[in-house]
Amino acid sequence: MKKQEIHNKNLSKTRYHMADNISGWGFIGVAVAVFVIFTLYPVISAVITSFQEYKPFGSEFVGFENYITALGNDLFWKSIKNTLVYTVVVIPLSLILSFSIAIMIVPFTKNVQSVFKGIYYLPGIASGVAISVVWLWLYDASPNGIFNRVLALFGTTSQNWLSSSKTAMLSLIIMALLSSHGANIIIYIAALHGIDNTYYEAAEMDGAKFFQKIRYIVLPMCRPTTLFLLVTGVIGSFQVFMNAYMMTGGGPDNNTTMIGLLIFNNAFTYGKYGLACAQAILLAIVITALTTLQFKLMGEDIEY
Amino acid sequence: MKVKKVLASVLSVAMISSLVACGNAATETQTAGSSDTQQAVTKTEEAKTEETAASSDVTDTITIMVPPITGDYVDLLGGWISEFNKEYPNITIDVISTSWDDHTEKLTTMALAGEAPDIAEVSYAAIGSYVENGTAIDISKYIDPERLSDYDQNALDYMTLEGTLYGLPLYITIQALGGNREMLEAAGADVTKIQTSGWTYDQFLDVIKNGTTSDRFGFVFANAGATTQDFINIFGVAAGITSSFTQDLKYSYTSDNMLSLLEAVETMTSSGYMPNYAVEAGQRLVMLQTGQTMLTGKAMPLFENNIKRNIEKMQAKDPEAVEGTIEMEYVFLPVPTMDNATASVFGTVDGMIALRNNNTTDEHLQNVLKFMDFLCSGERAATVDNAVYLTGVCESARKAQESFELDQSDENAAAVAYAISKVVAPPTGISAEQSANAKTMMDETIVPKFQALLAGETTAKDVYDAICTEAYKLFGEENCASGWIK
Repeated sequence: MKKQEIHNKNLSKTRYHMADNISGWGFIGVAVAVFVIFTLYPVISAVITSFQEYKPFGSEFVGFENYITALGNDLFWKSIKNTLVYTVVVIPLSLILSFSIAIMIVPFTKNVQSVFKGIYYLPGIASGVAISVVWLWLYDASPNGIFNRVLALFGTTSQNWLSSSKTAMLSLIIMALLSSHGANIIIYIAALHGIDNTYYEAAEMDGAKFFQKIRYIVLPMCRPTTLFLLVTGVIGSFQVFMNAYMMTGGGPDNNTTMIGLLIFNNAFTYGKYGLACAQAILLAIVITALTTLQFKLMGEDIEY
Repeated sequence: MKVKKVLASVLSVAMISSLVACGNAATETQTAGSSDTQQAVTKTEEAKTEETAASSDVTDTITIMVPPITGDYVDLLGGWISEFNKEYPNITIDVISTSWDDHTEKLTTMALAGEAPDIAEVSYAAIGSYVENGTAIDISKYIDPERLSDYDQNALDYMTLEGTLYGLPLYITIQALGGNREMLEAAGADVTKIQTSGWTYDQFLDVIKNGTTSDRFGFVFANAGATTQDFINIFGVAAGITSSFTQDLKYSYTSDNMLSLLEAVETMTSSGYMPNYAVEAGQRLVMLQTGQTMLTGKAMPLFENNIKRNIEKMQAKDPEAVEGTIEMEYVFLPVPTMDNATASVFGTVDGMIALRNNNTTDEHLQNVLKFMDFLCSGERAATVDNAVYLTGVCESARKAQESFELDQSDENAAAVAYAISKVVAPPTGISAEQSANAKTMMDETIVPKFQALLAGETTAKDVYDAICTEAYKLFGEENCASGWIK
C-alpha cells in the first residue's frame, strides 16, 4: 500500500516535470530551428561553396583553389591590414569615449540620464545609408564642403578628405567614432549602476580622490563589461562594410578596402561566390583567433 | 528522464534532417557541376518543354528587370505591357524596377541564385559576366530571323560574344563632353568647328587653361568611385583607346597610349584646370549649370534638354531649379585627339538580354523573345531613342522616330552626327573570360590607382607600371598590348 502511494506520488511528480519540460523544449526548439536555418545552414553552405567554382546551374569542385587564390592575393592582405588598422584605432578610442561619457552622465538624475542616453543612441536608430550621406556632405572636398569651410576659418587649405590616401582612413575613423557609440554608453551606464555604493563610501573614508575611485573601483568592476564590448566591438569592426562601401568605395588606391567590402565585391560585383566564401571563412578564423586571444588576456579572472 | 531522452532524440532527428536536406541540395548542385553543365540545363529545359507543350494555351509569366532607362520608362512600360497583352493575353509580365545604382548588383545576385529575371537591361560590356556564370542565353534560336533583320548589324555585334548573340540592342549612346558656349568662346574655342571636325588635345588644353579662373574649373569630369571607369572609357579615346582590347584582342591599357592618357590627367589636375578630388556624377552637371566649370564630362546630347528645362525653372522661380543656375547655351563636343591617335568618340550599346533561371523552358524562351523584341523595336525603342536624343538602332524604331521633333539646336545635331561617325565598335571575338578579367582589372587596379593619381599622390608612370604588372599576371604579357596602338 505504502509502495503504491510512493509510486503514485513519483508518477505525478514526473508528469509535472514532463509538462514543464515540454514547454522548455518547445522554446529551445524554436531557437534551435532558427539557429539551424539562419546560421548553421548558411555557414555549412559557405564552407561547401568555398571549395567550388560556383555557378548557379552547376558548380565545380575545385578543392583548395579558392583559399590559395585568396591567400595569394595582395588585395586580400591589404584589406586585412586596413581592417586591423581601423579596428586598432576605432575600438579602444570608442571604448574610452563611451566610458568617459557614461561616467559624466551617471551623476545626473534618472530623467536627465534618459535624455542623454536618448541623444547618444539616436544615430544608432537612423539608417546607416542616411548617416553616410550626411557624412559625405560634411567631407565634400570642394571649398564649399562643411569641414573645409571650418578649416578655411583657420586659414587652412581645403582637404581632399575621402579621396586622399592621407585622410581617407582617418575620415572613416572619425565617422565611426562620432556616430556609433550610443549602445556602448548605455551598457557602461548599466554597469556603473551595478557597482555597490559601499565601495565608494569605503574609498571616501580612506580619502580616495575621483581618479583613484575610477582606477581602483570603477575600472576593475567594469572589466566584464569592457571585455564584452571589446570582443563584440572587434567582431563588428572586422565585419565593417557599409562605411567604406558608401563613403570611399574602398579607394583611393584600395587604402580603405576593408575585408568585408572585398568579400562583398567578390560575391556581388564579380559573382565569384566560391572565392568570397573562402575569404569569409578565413575572416571567421581570424576573428575566432582574436576573440580567443582577448579572452586569454583579459577574461581569465572574470566571473559572470 | 525517459521523456527527456525521447524529446531530445526527436529534436536531434529534426535538426539532423534539416541538415541532411540542406546537404542533399548542395550535393545535387555539386553533381550537376561535375557533369557538363550546358547539357544538364538543356535536358531540364527539354523535359519542361514536353510538359508545357502538352497544353497549347498554357499561361506564361515573364519577369523583366529594368532601371529607369528614361525618366518615365517604368511608367511607359505599363502601357506597353497592356498593348502586348492584346496580342498575347496568356502571357503575364512582371516588372522589377531598379535604380541605376543597384541594378547590376541586384541582377548579379539574382542570376547567381538561379532566380534571374527572364529579361534584363544591360550594357553590352556586362554581358561577359553572365556568359561566364552560365546564365546568359543564345537568343538566336528563339527569335524569328526575319525579326532579327530589323536590327542594325553593328548594334547586334555589341550584343554578341564569341559569335553568340545574347540580347537585342535597345539604344546606342555617345558619350563625350558638354560645355557652356559663351565661356568656351571666351576661352578661345571655335565651338562650331570643334563640333563638326573635332579638336586636338593641345587645343583642348589651351581652352581649359584659359577657361580656368579663381572660382571656376576649365574642365570637370565625374570620377568618383565607379564613374572613374567612365573617364577611362570616354576620355581614353583621346589617346586612341577605344576598347579594353585591341583589334587583335590584346589588352589595351598596357599600351603607350594609356601612359599618355594618365600623363594628361596628371597635367590637368596638377595645373588646377581640373579638380584633384573625386566629383560625383550629379555634381558635375550642377557645376556646369551654376558656372563652376566651363566644360564637363561625361556628357550626352540629351543634357541640352535637361539644361533648358532647368533654366526655364529658374526663370519661373521654381524651387526645383538648381540653386545658382546661370543662363547658358549647352554645346555637345567630341573628346579631343592626341598626336598619333585617330579621332574617335566613345559609344556604347545598351539592350535587353535573356537570362536562364529555374523556370526556363524552350517554349517560355520563345515567349520571352517575343516580348523582348516588342520592347526593343518600333515605337517603344523610338521613345527611348528620342529621350536620349539619338537615332534608333533598328529600322522600325527609326521609322517611328520620323514623326518626332527633337528640341535640339542645329549645331548640337551636327555634333551628334559627327560623333556617331567616329564611334568605333569593340573588336569581335572577345571571350567571356577576357571580358570578366578586364572588369577585375578596371575595378581592382585601374580605378583605385587612378584615384590616387587624381589626388596627386602618385605619378602617371607609377600608375602605368602598376597596371602593366597586374595585367601581365592576369592576361599574360604576350596578351597585352605594347608600344603605341593605332
